[in-house]
Amino acid sequence: MTDPETILIEVLRWHPDTPEAPWWQSYEVPYRADATLLEALQTIKDDLDGTLTFRWSCRMAICGSCGCMVNGRPELSCHLLLRDLAPGPVRLEPLAHFPVIRDLVIDQQDFLDKLPAVGAYLVPAEETEAAAAAPAAPSRQTPAQMADYYQYAQCINCLLCYSACPQYGLKPDFLGPAALALMARHDADSRDHGQAGRRAARDADTGVWDCTLVGHCTEVCPQGVDPARAINRNKTASARDYVFDLLLPGRRR
Amino acid sequence: MTPLPTWQRGMRGWWRRDPAFRRYLLREATSVAIGAYALMLLAGLGCLVAGPAAWQRWEGLILSPVGLLLQAVVFAAAVIHAVSWFRLMPLTIPPLGRPGRRLADGAIHAGAWAASALCSLGLLGWLVYGA
Repeated sequence: MTDPETILIEVLRWHPDTPEAPWWQSYEVPYRADATLLEALQTIKDDLDGTLTFRWSCRMAICGSCGCMVNGRPELSCHLLLRDLAPGPVRLEPLAHFPVIRDLVIDQQDFLDKLPAVGAYLVPAEETEAAAAAPAAPSRQTPAQMADYYQYAQCINCLLCYSACPQYGLKPDFLGPAALALMARHDADSRDHGQAGRRAARDADTGVWDCTLVGHCTEVCPQGVDPARAINRNKTASARDYVFDLLLPGRRR
Repeated sequence: MTPLPTWQRGMRGWWRRDPAFRRYLLREATSVAIGAYALMLLAGLGCLVAGPAAWQRWEGLILSPVGLLLQAVVFAAAVIHAVSWFRLMPLTIPPLGRPGRRLADGAIHAGAWAASALCSLGLLGWLVYGA
Protein backbone atom coordinates (compact mmCIF):
# COMPACT_ATOMS: atom_id res chain seq x y z
CA MET A 1 0.00 0.00 0.00
CA THR A 2 1.34 3.43 -0.85
CA ASP A 3 1.19 6.15 1.75
CA PRO A 4 -1.47 8.82 1.24
CA GLU A 5 -0.26 12.29 0.28
CA THR A 6 -2.42 14.03 2.84
CA ILE A 7 -4.42 13.18 5.94
CA LEU A 8 -7.71 14.81 6.89
CA ILE A 9 -7.74 16.34 10.37
CA GLU A 10 -11.00 17.74 11.75
CA VAL A 11 -10.80 20.02 14.76
CA LEU A 12 -13.65 21.12 17.02
CA ARG A 13 -13.03 24.84 17.40
CA TRP A 14 -14.43 27.40 19.81
CA HIS A 15 -13.64 31.07 20.13
CA PRO A 16 -14.69 33.21 23.12
CA ASP A 17 -15.78 36.00 20.76
CA THR A 18 -18.44 33.73 19.24
CA PRO A 19 -19.29 31.62 22.32
CA GLU A 20 -22.59 30.32 20.96
CA ALA A 21 -21.07 28.70 17.91
CA PRO A 22 -18.43 25.98 18.20
CA TRP A 23 -17.62 24.60 14.75
CA TRP A 24 -15.80 21.73 13.06
CA GLN A 25 -12.97 22.75 10.75
CA SER A 26 -11.22 20.37 8.36
CA TYR A 27 -7.58 20.53 7.32
CA GLU A 28 -5.80 18.50 4.64
CA VAL A 29 -2.35 18.07 6.14
CA PRO A 30 0.70 16.69 4.27
CA TYR A 31 1.20 13.08 5.40
CA ARG A 32 4.53 11.76 6.69
CA ALA A 33 4.78 8.27 8.12
CA ASP A 34 7.18 9.39 10.86
CA ALA A 35 5.27 12.54 11.86
CA THR A 36 3.31 12.79 15.09
CA LEU A 37 -0.18 14.22 15.40
CA LEU A 38 1.34 17.18 17.25
CA GLU A 39 3.59 17.87 14.23
CA ALA A 40 0.49 17.83 12.04
CA LEU A 41 -1.10 20.45 14.32
CA GLN A 42 2.08 22.51 14.11
CA THR A 43 1.95 22.26 10.30
CA ILE A 44 -1.62 23.58 10.41
CA LYS A 45 -0.56 26.44 12.69
CA ASP A 46 2.51 27.35 10.60
CA ASP A 47 1.27 26.83 7.03
CA LEU A 48 -2.53 26.54 6.89
CA ASP A 49 -4.29 28.44 9.68
CA GLY A 50 -2.44 30.52 12.25
CA THR A 51 -5.59 30.99 14.33
CA LEU A 52 -5.77 27.36 15.50
CA THR A 53 -4.83 27.29 19.20
CA PHE A 54 -3.38 24.35 21.16
CA ARG A 55 -0.88 23.75 23.96
CA TRP A 56 2.37 21.89 23.55
CA SER A 57 5.91 21.93 24.87
CA CYS A 58 8.23 18.93 25.07
CA ARG A 59 7.14 16.85 22.02
CA MET A 60 8.10 13.63 23.88
CA ALA A 61 5.21 12.72 26.19
CA ILE A 62 6.74 14.02 29.39
CA CYS A 63 5.37 17.56 29.85
CA GLY A 64 1.70 16.60 29.65
CA SER A 65 0.65 19.75 27.76
CA CYS A 66 -0.73 18.49 24.46
CA GLY A 67 -3.63 16.32 25.63
CA CYS A 68 -6.79 16.33 23.52
CA MET A 69 -9.58 13.97 22.50
CA VAL A 70 -8.48 12.00 19.42
CA ASN A 71 -11.42 10.20 17.83
CA GLY A 72 -13.16 10.40 21.20
CA ARG A 73 -10.30 9.08 23.33
CA PRO A 74 -8.01 11.21 25.53
CA GLU A 75 -4.48 11.14 24.08
CA LEU A 76 -1.26 13.13 24.03
CA SER A 77 -1.00 14.40 20.44
CA CYS A 78 2.81 14.03 20.54
CA HIS A 79 2.39 10.36 21.47
CA LEU A 80 0.50 9.37 18.30
CA LEU A 81 2.03 8.78 14.88
CA LEU A 82 0.09 9.81 11.78
CA ARG A 83 0.75 6.38 10.26
CA ASP A 84 -1.33 4.81 13.03
CA LEU A 85 -4.20 7.23 12.29
CA ALA A 86 -4.12 7.06 8.46
CA PRO A 87 -6.15 7.26 6.34
CA GLY A 88 -8.20 9.37 8.75
CA PRO A 89 -10.22 11.45 9.17
CA VAL A 90 -8.82 12.25 12.61
CA ARG A 91 -11.30 14.09 14.83
CA LEU A 92 -9.78 16.30 17.50
CA GLU A 93 -11.65 17.88 20.41
CA PRO A 94 -10.50 19.63 23.57
CA LEU A 95 -10.09 17.31 26.60
CA ALA A 96 -13.53 16.28 27.82
CA HIS A 97 -15.04 17.49 31.13
CA PHE A 98 -12.91 20.68 31.30
CA PRO A 99 -14.07 24.19 30.39
CA VAL A 100 -12.70 25.25 27.00
CA ILE A 101 -10.73 28.50 26.78
CA ARG A 102 -10.20 28.38 23.02
CA ASP A 103 -10.02 25.60 20.40
CA LEU A 104 -8.02 22.72 21.98
CA VAL A 105 -6.97 24.72 25.06
CA ILE A 106 -8.78 23.78 28.28
CA ASP A 107 -8.84 25.47 31.67
CA GLN A 108 -7.02 23.16 34.13
CA GLN A 109 -7.50 25.48 37.13
CA ASP A 110 -9.89 23.04 38.84
CA PHE A 111 -7.15 20.39 38.98
CA LEU A 112 -4.57 22.89 40.23
CA ASP A 113 -7.00 23.95 42.98
CA LYS A 114 -7.45 20.30 44.05
CA LEU A 115 -3.76 19.39 44.21
CA PRO A 116 -3.06 21.05 47.61
CA ALA A 117 -5.98 19.11 49.19
CA VAL A 118 -4.28 15.73 48.71
CA GLY A 119 -1.01 16.67 50.43
CA ALA A 120 1.19 15.61 47.52
CA TYR A 121 4.48 16.02 49.36
CA LEU A 122 6.52 13.95 51.83
CA VAL A 123 5.88 14.72 55.50
CA PRO A 124 8.92 13.98 57.68
CA ALA A 125 8.73 12.06 60.96
CA GLU A 126 7.64 14.08 63.95
CA GLU A 127 10.35 15.27 66.27
CA THR A 128 11.52 12.20 68.15
CA GLU A 129 14.54 11.65 70.34
CA ALA A 130 16.21 9.72 67.57
CA ALA A 131 15.40 12.45 65.05
CA ALA A 132 16.69 15.12 67.45
CA ALA A 133 19.91 13.16 67.99
CA ALA A 134 20.59 12.96 64.26
CA PRO A 135 18.62 15.79 62.65
CA ALA A 136 20.46 15.58 59.34
CA ALA A 137 20.12 11.81 58.93
CA PRO A 138 18.96 10.90 55.43
CA SER A 139 15.67 9.04 54.96
CA ARG A 140 16.89 5.80 53.46
CA GLN A 141 14.72 3.59 51.31
CA THR A 142 15.30 0.18 49.74
CA PRO A 143 14.52 -0.44 46.04
CA ALA A 144 11.74 -2.82 47.20
CA GLN A 145 10.14 -0.04 49.26
CA MET A 146 10.42 2.33 46.30
CA ALA A 147 8.72 -0.20 44.03
CA ASP A 148 5.56 0.16 46.14
CA TYR A 149 4.90 3.73 44.96
CA TYR A 150 7.13 4.19 41.91
CA GLN A 151 4.41 3.77 39.26
CA TYR A 152 2.18 6.32 41.01
CA ALA A 153 5.07 8.79 41.00
CA GLN A 154 5.19 8.81 37.18
CA CYS A 155 2.20 11.16 36.80
CA ILE A 156 2.84 14.10 34.46
CA ASN A 157 -0.42 15.94 35.26
CA CYS A 158 -1.58 15.67 31.65
CA LEU A 159 -5.24 15.31 32.79
CA LEU A 160 -6.09 12.56 30.28
CA CYS A 161 -7.45 10.54 33.24
CA TYR A 162 -9.90 13.33 34.14
CA SER A 163 -11.20 13.30 30.58
CA ALA A 164 -11.60 9.52 30.81
CA CYS A 165 -13.56 9.73 34.08
CA PRO A 166 -17.34 10.17 33.69
CA GLN A 167 -17.58 10.48 37.47
CA TYR A 168 -15.52 13.68 37.28
CA GLY A 169 -17.66 14.95 34.40
CA LEU A 170 -20.87 14.26 36.31
CA LYS A 171 -19.61 15.48 39.70
CA PRO A 172 -16.84 18.04 39.24
CA ASP A 173 -16.22 18.22 43.03
CA PHE A 174 -14.62 14.74 42.85
CA LEU A 175 -10.88 15.11 43.52
CA GLY A 176 -10.29 12.87 40.54
CA PRO A 177 -7.83 10.20 39.37
CA ALA A 178 -4.49 12.04 39.18
CA ALA A 179 -4.87 13.92 42.48
CA LEU A 180 -5.94 10.78 44.36
CA ALA A 181 -3.15 8.75 42.73
CA LEU A 182 -0.68 11.34 44.00
CA MET A 183 -2.22 10.98 47.45
CA ALA A 184 -1.71 7.20 47.26
CA ARG A 185 1.84 7.72 45.98
CA HIS A 186 2.78 9.63 49.13
CA ASP A 187 0.80 7.36 51.47
CA ALA A 188 2.71 4.36 50.08
CA ASP A 189 6.14 5.97 50.52
CA SER A 190 8.07 4.43 53.44
CA ARG A 191 9.67 7.83 54.21
CA ASP A 192 6.32 9.58 54.58
CA HIS A 193 4.52 10.23 57.88
CA GLY A 194 1.66 12.33 56.54
CA GLN A 195 -1.12 9.77 56.11
CA ALA A 196 -3.17 11.16 59.00
CA GLY A 197 -3.11 14.62 57.43
CA ARG A 198 -4.48 13.26 54.13
CA ARG A 199 -7.32 11.30 55.73
CA ALA A 200 -9.90 14.08 55.67
CA ALA A 201 -9.57 14.54 51.90
CA ARG A 202 -9.42 10.79 51.30
CA ASP A 203 -12.55 9.98 53.33
CA ALA A 204 -14.64 13.00 52.25
CA ASP A 205 -17.58 12.73 49.84
CA THR A 206 -15.31 14.10 47.15
CA GLY A 207 -12.51 11.62 47.92
CA VAL A 208 -11.91 7.97 47.07
CA TRP A 209 -15.56 6.94 47.59
CA ASP A 210 -16.66 9.07 44.63
CA CYS A 211 -14.79 6.65 42.36
CA THR A 212 -17.02 3.91 40.93
CA LEU A 213 -14.13 2.05 39.29
CA VAL A 214 -14.98 2.77 35.68
CA GLY A 215 -11.28 2.11 35.17
CA HIS A 216 -10.86 4.07 31.93
CA CYS A 217 -8.34 6.41 33.65
CA THR A 218 -5.86 3.55 33.84
CA GLU A 219 -6.45 2.61 30.20
CA VAL A 220 -5.66 6.09 28.85
CA CYS A 221 -2.72 6.98 31.15
CA PRO A 222 0.39 7.49 28.98
CA GLN A 223 2.68 6.85 31.97
CA GLY A 224 1.20 3.59 33.30
CA VAL A 225 0.27 5.22 36.61
CA ASP A 226 -2.87 3.10 37.15
CA PRO A 227 -4.95 5.65 39.10
CA ALA A 228 -7.85 3.17 39.40
CA ARG A 229 -5.65 0.88 41.49
CA ALA A 230 -4.27 3.76 43.58
CA ILE A 231 -7.76 5.06 44.41
CA ASN A 232 -9.41 1.74 45.12
CA ARG A 233 -6.62 0.51 47.36
CA ASN A 234 -7.10 3.66 49.38
CA LYS A 235 -10.77 2.73 49.77
CA THR A 236 -9.61 -0.29 51.77
CA ALA A 237 -7.47 1.97 53.96
CA SER A 238 -10.41 4.37 54.37
CA ALA A 239 -12.77 1.56 55.40
CA ARG A 240 -10.16 0.11 57.77
CA ASP A 241 -9.68 3.45 59.52
CA TYR A 242 -13.45 3.93 59.78
CA VAL A 243 -13.91 0.56 61.50
CA PHE A 244 -10.96 1.03 63.85
CA ASP A 245 -12.22 4.48 64.81
CA LEU A 246 -15.59 2.96 65.72
CA LEU A 247 -14.01 0.17 67.78
CA LEU A 248 -11.29 2.30 69.39
CA PRO A 249 -12.66 5.85 69.76
CA GLY A 250 -9.44 7.14 71.35
CA ARG A 251 -7.46 6.17 68.27
CA ARG A 252 -8.50 9.19 66.17
CA ARG A 253 -5.78 11.79 65.95
CA MET B 1 -8.76 39.01 37.94
CA THR B 2 -11.89 38.35 35.91
CA PRO B 3 -12.18 34.70 35.02
CA LEU B 4 -11.72 33.87 31.35
CA PRO B 5 -14.89 33.21 29.37
CA THR B 6 -15.11 29.48 28.82
CA TRP B 7 -17.29 26.91 27.08
CA GLN B 8 -18.57 24.15 29.38
CA ARG B 9 -19.74 21.06 27.53
CA GLY B 10 -22.48 18.89 29.01
CA MET B 11 -22.55 15.21 29.93
CA ARG B 12 -25.67 14.24 28.01
CA GLY B 13 -25.35 10.72 26.59
CA TRP B 14 -21.85 10.29 28.07
CA TRP B 15 -22.05 6.47 27.85
CA ARG B 16 -22.21 6.72 24.08
CA ARG B 17 -18.77 8.35 23.94
CA ASP B 18 -16.62 5.27 24.58
CA PRO B 19 -17.14 1.48 24.57
CA ALA B 20 -15.33 1.41 27.94
CA PHE B 21 -18.22 3.37 29.49
CA ARG B 22 -20.77 0.89 28.11
CA ARG B 23 -18.73 -2.05 29.42
CA TYR B 24 -18.73 -0.35 32.83
CA LEU B 25 -22.51 0.16 32.77
CA LEU B 26 -23.03 -3.46 31.69
CA ARG B 27 -20.83 -4.61 34.57
CA GLU B 28 -22.83 -2.54 37.05
CA ALA B 29 -26.17 -3.64 35.54
CA THR B 30 -25.34 -7.31 36.17
CA SER B 31 -25.76 -6.55 39.89
CA VAL B 32 -29.41 -5.69 39.22
CA ALA B 33 -29.97 -9.04 37.48
CA ILE B 34 -28.33 -10.91 40.35
CA GLY B 35 -30.38 -8.94 42.89
CA ALA B 36 -33.56 -9.82 40.98
CA TYR B 37 -32.57 -13.50 41.03
CA ALA B 38 -32.08 -13.35 44.80
CA LEU B 39 -35.60 -11.87 45.14
CA MET B 40 -36.94 -14.69 42.94
CA LEU B 41 -35.35 -17.29 45.24
CA LEU B 42 -36.75 -15.45 48.24
CA ALA B 43 -40.21 -15.59 46.67
CA GLY B 44 -39.70 -19.36 46.20
CA LEU B 45 -38.88 -19.69 49.89
CA GLY B 46 -42.05 -17.75 50.73
CA CYS B 47 -44.09 -20.09 48.50
CA LEU B 48 -42.50 -23.13 50.19
CA VAL B 49 -43.67 -21.80 53.54
CA ALA B 50 -47.13 -20.94 52.16
CA GLY B 51 -47.91 -24.52 51.17
CA PRO B 52 -47.80 -27.12 48.35
CA ALA B 53 -50.14 -25.22 46.01
CA ALA B 54 -48.08 -22.02 46.19
CA TRP B 55 -44.86 -24.00 45.74
CA GLN B 56 -46.16 -25.72 42.61
CA ARG B 57 -47.28 -22.39 41.19
CA TRP B 58 -43.78 -20.94 41.77
CA GLU B 59 -42.15 -24.08 40.31
CA GLY B 60 -44.38 -23.86 37.24
CA LEU B 61 -43.39 -20.23 36.83
CA ILE B 62 -39.63 -20.78 36.92
CA LEU B 63 -39.82 -23.85 34.65
CA SER B 64 -41.97 -22.05 32.07
CA PRO B 65 -40.22 -20.91 28.84
CA VAL B 66 -40.18 -17.29 30.05
CA GLY B 67 -38.83 -18.37 33.44
CA LEU B 68 -36.06 -20.41 31.83
CA LEU B 69 -35.18 -17.55 29.49
CA LEU B 70 -34.91 -15.13 32.42
CA GLN B 71 -32.67 -17.58 34.27
CA ALA B 72 -30.45 -17.86 31.19
CA VAL B 73 -30.13 -14.06 31.19
CA VAL B 74 -29.31 -14.11 34.92
CA PHE B 75 -26.70 -16.83 34.33
CA ALA B 76 -25.05 -14.76 31.60
CA ALA B 77 -25.10 -11.73 33.92
CA ALA B 78 -23.55 -13.79 36.71
CA VAL B 79 -20.72 -14.90 34.40
CA ILE B 80 -20.00 -11.28 33.34
CA HIS B 81 -20.22 -10.23 36.98
CA ALA B 82 -17.76 -12.87 38.14
CA VAL B 83 -15.27 -12.30 35.31
CA SER B 84 -15.23 -8.52 35.76
CA TRP B 85 -15.18 -8.79 39.57
CA PHE B 86 -12.16 -11.10 39.59
CA ARG B 87 -10.46 -8.97 36.93
CA LEU B 88 -10.77 -5.88 39.16
CA MET B 89 -9.96 -7.72 42.39
CA PRO B 90 -6.20 -6.87 42.45
CA LEU B 91 -7.10 -3.18 42.19
CA THR B 92 -9.35 -3.23 45.22
CA ILE B 93 -7.31 -5.14 47.79
CA PRO B 94 -4.21 -3.87 49.63
CA PRO B 95 -0.85 -5.04 48.26
CA LEU B 96 -0.28 -8.61 49.47
CA GLY B 97 3.11 -9.97 50.50
CA ARG B 98 6.22 -8.01 51.50
CA PRO B 99 7.82 -5.05 49.67
CA GLY B 100 9.79 -6.42 46.76
CA ARG B 101 7.87 -9.70 46.88
CA ARG B 102 4.34 -8.48 46.16
CA LEU B 103 1.78 -10.98 44.92
CA ALA B 104 1.30 -10.52 41.15
CA ASP B 105 -2.14 -9.80 39.66
CA GLY B 106 -2.09 -13.17 37.87
CA ALA B 107 -1.67 -15.03 41.16
CA ILE B 108 -4.62 -13.12 42.68
CA HIS B 109 -6.79 -13.93 39.62
CA ALA B 110 -5.79 -17.61 39.79
CA GLY B 111 -6.45 -17.76 43.54
CA ALA B 112 -9.88 -16.15 43.14
CA TRP B 113 -10.91 -18.52 40.35
CA ALA B 114 -9.58 -21.53 42.28
CA ALA B 115 -11.55 -20.51 45.39
CA SER B 116 -14.65 -19.94 43.26
CA ALA B 117 -14.29 -23.36 41.58
CA LEU B 118 -13.76 -25.05 44.95
CA CYS B 119 -16.89 -23.43 46.44
CA SER B 120 -18.97 -24.27 43.35
CA LEU B 121 -17.83 -27.90 43.35
CA GLY B 122 -18.39 -28.14 47.09
CA LEU B 123 -21.94 -26.80 46.73
CA LEU B 124 -22.62 -29.11 43.79
CA GLY B 125 -21.29 -32.09 45.73
CA TRP B 126 -23.44 -31.23 48.72
CA LEU B 127 -26.52 -30.87 46.51
CA VAL B 128 -25.94 -34.18 44.74
CA TYR B 129 -24.62 -36.38 47.55
CA GLY B 130 -25.08 -34.59 50.85
CA ALA B 131 -28.65 -33.32 50.93
